[in-house]
Amino acid sequence: MIAALALAAGIVLGFVLRPTVPTWLEPYLPIAVVAALDAVFGGVRARLDGIFDSKVFVVSFISNVLVAALIVFLGDKLGVGSQLSTAVVVVLGIRIFGNAAAIRRHLFRA
Amino acid sequence: MTEPRRTAGLATAPASAKYLIDLVTDTLDPGYAAAASRRGDDRSRRWYDRPAVALGCLLIGFTVVVAYVHTHRGAPQAAKVHAGLVTRVRAAERDNNALDAQVQALNNALARARAQAGAGAANGVVEHDQVLAGQVAVTGPGLQVVLREPAAPTASPSVGRGDAASIGAANILTDRDVRSVVNELWADGAEAISVNDIRLTPTSAIRFAGEAVLVDFQPISAPYTIRAIGNSDQLDVGFAASEVASRYHTLSSADGIGFDFTQQAKLSLPASAAVNPRYASAAPTPSPSGSSR
Repeated sequence: MIAALALAAGIVLGFVLRPTVPTWLEPYLPIAVVAALDAVFGGVRARLDGIFDSKVFVVSFISNVLVAALIVFLGDKLGVGSQLSTAVVVVLGIRIFGNAAAIRRHLFRA
Repeated sequence: MTEPRRTAGLATAPASAKYLIDLVTDTLDPGYAAAASRRGDDRSRRWYDRPAVALGCLLIGFTVVVAYVHTHRGAPQAAKVHAGLVTRVRAAERDNNALDAQVQALNNALARARAQAGAGAANGVVEHDQVLAGQVAVTGPGLQVVLREPAAPTASPSVGRGDAASIGAANILTDRDVRSVVNELWADGAEAISVNDIRLTPTSAIRFAGEAVLVDFQPISAPYTIRAIGNSDQLDVGFAASEVASRYHTLSSADGIGFDFTQQAKLSLPASAAVNPRYASAAPTPSPSGSSR
């Protein structure tokens, strides 16, 4: 309940503030989005599994974003930025997909 | 039947492959399981549970929306700028056409007023000068020369070829070709010339910008139709014998450009908007200026 409320509040906040993303932050935005989706699906699945932990949820989200951004940053400096950001999206995408499948099995028993 | 074999395969998989297998099979963050085993049966809420979840969800929603807004704000803005530029170009073109029409109307009014004012001899001189300067629409016999680009190589068998080659091949004709034909026609005795219905004046320039030929700063595109009024027999014979004509005959058989010229019994050339000389003024010499024309 509180999670849904906070999510809605964050969405409203984003629409109201409409912050301008600085140029240097732009390449990390897609990575942050994928990491955020991964955290959401992971959290929901953990909740359904009965092992949800708020600390793990927040820390894993923030650290995933930071690590993914760091990988992409290093890649940019070394000339393989786009390949590494693809790698990050693939890894997190696989996790999202697997978690979504687990959630589906929980909800529909299928 | 397949289960044991599969697990056996997993167990014997090399370490690097195991990472990939883990990636696909263990999609949940291992931290959750670790935290659950650490806490054991202690199911009580801690004080930071709710704020932490709220903070995480707030951050996630904010991030997603910022990305959404950022992506969707950039694209329409670029389209908006493009549309704005297109509208401004169109408006400028409309203004230009309106001013052209105004100039023509005023010129006609001027001609009528001059005719009413009489002074027949002077009138004839003015009219003659205006015809030569391209300020009035003229009609008469002449020669029409058409230059066409080679048939477009689109949908031709050269699919695998690079684009650069085909783009270059599609634009063989340049300002130089139009200019050489025009110069040859002047040399053969043309009295008035238009290119794609743009009348040439003594100050006209035929230039090249990007992939468009500009005649008096107005872009035109192939096919280039060059109409010249003059003694049509003399023009025809002179042009046919010229080096320019033989060059384009050769090019038309080699490169596939379209080139032909025909005598016309009656050609109508439009007037050009008058360009008033800003710097040149009549020299105050005692010699009769009319004879030098």
